[in-house]
Amino acid sequence: MNKAISTRLTFVVAILSLLIFIILWQVIAQQGLLVKNFPGSFKTIESLIWWVSDPFFDNGPNDLGIGTNLLISLRRVLIGYSLAVLVAVPLGVLMGMSKLAQSSLNPYVQLLKPVSPLAWLPVGLFVFRNSEITGIFVIFITSIWPTLINTAFGVASINPDYLRVSKSLGASKSTTIRRVILPAIMPNILAGMRISMGTAWLVIVAAEMLLGTGIGYFIWNEWNNLSLENIFVAIIIIGFTGFILDQFFGFLQDKFDYSI
Amino acid sequence: MNKKSSKTSSSNENYSHLELLNLGKIFFKEKKFIDFRSKGNRSGFEAIKDINLKIEKNTFVSIIGPSGCGKSTLLNLIAGLQAPTSGKIVIDGQAIKGPGPDRGVIFQNYALMPWLTTIQNIEFALNTVFPAKTKADVKERARKYLRMVGLEKASNKFPKELSGGMKQRVAIARALSINPNMLLMDEPFGALDALTRSYLQDELLSIWRKNKVTVVLITHSIEEALLLSDKIVLMSSGPSAIISEEISVDLERPRDREKIEQDPKYLKIKMRLEKHLLRETRAVEEVT
Repeated sequence: MNKAISTRLTFVVAILSLLIFIILWQVIAQQGLLVKNFPGSFKTIESLIWWVSDPFFDNGPNDLGIGTNLLISLRRVLIGYSLAVLVAVPLGVLMGMSKLAQSSLNPYVQLLKPVSPLAWLPVGLFVFRNSEITGIFVIFITSIWPTLINTAFGVASINPDYLRVSKSLGASKSTTIRRVILPAIMPNILAGMRISMGTAWLVIVAAEMLLGTGIGYFIWNEWNNLSLENIFVAIIIIGFTGFILDQFFGFLQDKFDYSI
Repeated sequence: MNKKSSKTSSSNENYSHLELLNLGKIFFKEKKFIDFRSKGNRSGFEAIKDINLKIEKNTFVSIIGPSGCGKSTLLNLIAGLQAPTSGKIVIDGQAIKGPGPDRGVIFQNYALMPWLTTIQNIEFALNTVFPAKTKADVKERARKYLRMVGLEKASNKFPKELSGGMKQRVAIARALSINPNMLLMDEPFGALDALTRSYLQDELLSIWRKNKVTVVLITHSIEEALLLSDKIVLMSSGPSAIISEEISVDLERPRDREKIEQDPKYLKIKMRLEKHLLRETRAVEEVT
């Protein structure tokens, strides 16, 4: 009973704060308190409805529906991200299990991790001569580090009891990896994958401003059109998509939460 | 085959089921670069030394000693989870080289895999040890052992839904399901409350009566050792712990936990154990 009331209350508060925000935004814009010609919330909502009501039109690369652009970005992220996970998990397991792998790979990880993935964009363009593949490549580089580091950490800090059980039963190395280590570190892998996805979704917007097409390019294009309200529309859509992606991983993490 | 075993292979009487011969274990610190340079002898921590022990088939042996005396190290060596620094472990005339399904191990913290249900935990052990068995066979056998510890109804529960005592019963079922000759238990009831502990001790005794296995139990409870064992092995305080005494517990079985405490023989051994443990514990506490 109490809980039901508090959820309803939270909902009401959220709606109220949104209304206040929209009204304040409109007032500030209308009065020109910030800068002249700053789009108000009404105008932004109007264009949001216009973009969302017909999201998938295609009038050439500089005039795509926002849904089409969103799907282009999502496709790049999903391909680059999946490749990164396919590399990061086995590599992370290797680094967690072998001191040799750890000490030979860790310096590169530590050195490359803090570099903005956008620094790889020219390298990608030079090597691949293709903006699509370069986008995927940049997302690959972005996504690899958090998953790799979390996986390696998970293996290194695995409960030794599980390994002792496996060893005492005479399990082979491959059985131990498949049936014990991988399930045991699922929470770590998923935590890493969640961070990777979050960063990939941040980076794709910036990368696409330089690459053409996609939601990031949409923003750049609307900047050239000096249509700030369309940029706000894109920001809302990007935020919403990122939120859904994050919630999906949150859901998976709950499923694989073994804590007692 | 060495000379000894070829001589004795004709009869089983000439060697015990489990023999520890001059067993020693030193834990060395991790090798640092400087150690390669100096070629100096690495100093290490000697947990146990010169352990000689014979254990007969189907007997119940408890190893008792002050904390930090290397009891768990000894059990890990017998389980094959660690390699001894010196000496060897011989089972049925064969020196062991590592872990094997002839020995079932039970850990203090149950060591159940939290992502598997109770029955899947047992099936994991069975699949690992008997890869040729069919799925139905494995399931049937896992169910049989869950029934043995009275947890058939909990077969689809996850470990986090079980109490500590239930978890340890699952671990016992898992260890026995692979049909070992020997059950190695590392303070299996140490984390349980007193009532659950008594219940599980009785349970273990009845399981042991039905499934003929040799049990090596690490404990620091004198009462537990007396209630369960045929023989109690006393260890000195570490480091470099040795076996200071072996005591036969010739109390009649089945033992009743209330009646046994009136038995003068029981009290005599108990006094002796208490004196020893107190002396060894004092040695530990007063050094540090």
